[in-house]
Amino acid sequence: MSVAGLPNPPVFRFGPITRQDLVRYAGASGDFNPLHYDDQFARSAGLPGVMAHGMFSAGLLGSFLVSWVEDRRVRRFRLRFKAPVWPGDTLHATGSVVRTRRLEEGEVAELELKLARHDGSEVVTAIAEVQCP
Amino acid sequence: MNGDGEALLGEWTCPVEWGKVREFARAVHDPRLGREPPVPPLTFPVVLSAEFVERLVSELLPLDRKRTVHGEQDYEYLRPLQVGQVIKCTARILRDEVKQGQRAGRMRLVTVEVKLMDANSGETIGFERMTAIEQEAQTP
Repeated sequence: MSVAGLPNPPVFRFGPITRQDLVRYAGASGDFNPLHYDDQFARSAGLPGVMAHGMFSAGLLGSFLVSWVEDRRVRRFRLRFKAPVWPGDTLHATGSVVRTRRLEEGEVAELELKLARHDGSEVVTAIAEVQCP
Repeated sequence: MNGDGEALLGEWTCPVEWGKVREFARAVHDPRLGREPPVPPLTFPVVLSAEFVERLVSELLPLDRKRTVHGEQDYEYLRPLQVGQVIKCTARILRDEVKQGQRAGRMRLVTVEVKLMDANSGETIGFERMTAIEQEAQTP
């Protein structure tokens, strides 16, 4: 059912994540934390190997949000990082409308978003506020 | 000092570059990739603050990367960010405290806010807030 004129969220699946994805994100974002490209450094931090940037997963969830709400204005996008993402992981995004409220500028939909591994374990959760004229 | 009476941690200016927006949109698989002019993805402000965050982590705070995780990231947009704008950024610490963790030992929580303004019009575009969690070093 459509709420606040929003379509149903699209199906969003990404992966398996490769090292190239992480290197591309490092270059594009300017985040060169060695935890994301240097296995030896990652292991010295007690990790099994390099992990994805939290903000890479956040970026994917943002892309899911944009494919869902299209050109509607996003006023808020707040992300919580729940678990690390590793090369080889495949991620799925889901979302739902929590509620809508009416402001002077129009209707605002509050959305809940989740990025999870194929086994259902959450890696990033988010809330978003979207203007729905 | 800013209006809230807190010391600014940093202040810099950075353009929203066409090529950089496209490169970032490609890296996060933004569905608007290919539009001209390119549309900055929601999390694009990380590009504007990358050099500052590097300095924040390695010098200003500093944090040990091997014991630090990214806890939260929050974007608040009053108006959209657009290619061609020059953005004036100011950063301040919202929180820097040590807490007792539920399972592991003590941890340091740091939240930094970057305010994004159009350098030409002076209008506020929005805020980027990031929270890092550093676990206390294990005593040998």
